[in-house]
Amino acid sequence: MSSRRSRISEEEITELISKLQSLLPETRRRGASRASAAKVLKETCNYIKSLHREVDDLSGRLSELMATMDVDSAQAEIVRSLFRS
Amino acid sequence: MAISDAEGESPAAAKEVGGERKRKRLAERSLLAKWKTEGERKSYSSKLIEALRVVRRSSCPAPAAVATDCSRSRAVRVAADRALAVTARGRSRWSRAILSRRTLKLRSRARVARLKPPAAAAGPRAAERRKPPALEQKARVLGRLVPGCRKLPLATLLEEATDYIAALEMQVRAMSAVAEILSAAAGGGRSSSVAAEPM
Repeated sequence: MSSRRSRISEEEITELISKLQSLLPETRRRGASRASAAKVLKETCNYIKSLHREVDDLSGRLSELMATMDVDSAQAEIVRSLFRS
Repeated sequence: MAISDAEGESPAAAKEVGGERKRKRLAERSLLAKWKTEGERKSYSSKLIEALRVVRRSSCPAPAAVATDCSRSRAVRVAADRALAVTARGRSRWSRAILSRRTLKLRSRARVARLKPPAAAAGPRAAERRKPPALEQKARVLGRLVPGCRKLPLATLLEEATDYIAALEMQVRAMSAVAEILSAAAGGGRSSSVAAEPM
């Protein structure tokens, strides 16, 4: 218990970690109350990596689709559906 | 979008300690929810389309080479990330880091895989520090994953990570939606080439 400042930031950190935990899919499923900070960090890293992988896959798919399509009509199609919904 | 008005309160008030910090946290929660709104997704989608068009135009001179498939998908990834960062409107560190990134960085980072030996924390120092070394190591890994967050204190890193995750989820949703629309349009007999993938 040295300085007041470090105690406040510990609380903040705990709160940030629980906020982070609520975003993770694992926790949403199991409804777990409190995982350790290390576990949350590890889950976060894995989750971000899997999201990156998804984005990479989607980028690949989009680039393939773009190659075979006329982009202007594609854009028209997308704008149309964006305004539809 | 009414939520964007809340940003005006934060700057000066956030500096003071105490009750002001709570207000900042509440504002952040609404900022996070922003990533889930339809408006944000559509705004991102239109930026994405523009970026895709630019990528398409720039890769046009080399049409049939197979090697460009990889570089094109990488270009799409870079464009998608940039569009995401723009949608964040410079509120977060990771978005500013992405926008100041140069295009080649994505490739060179994959090559330079630095294997750090497990950090053996010095005995007396570990007692002084409040965070255990295992946490430090994981925080470092996280800092490498979120753009522009390598040397941040843990609290800031966690904030950036939560915003980044919300943004990534939106990116995935938006890109999937665009891909669905494009593949539906491609399969609907509109375009010239075939390449209709069975979904």
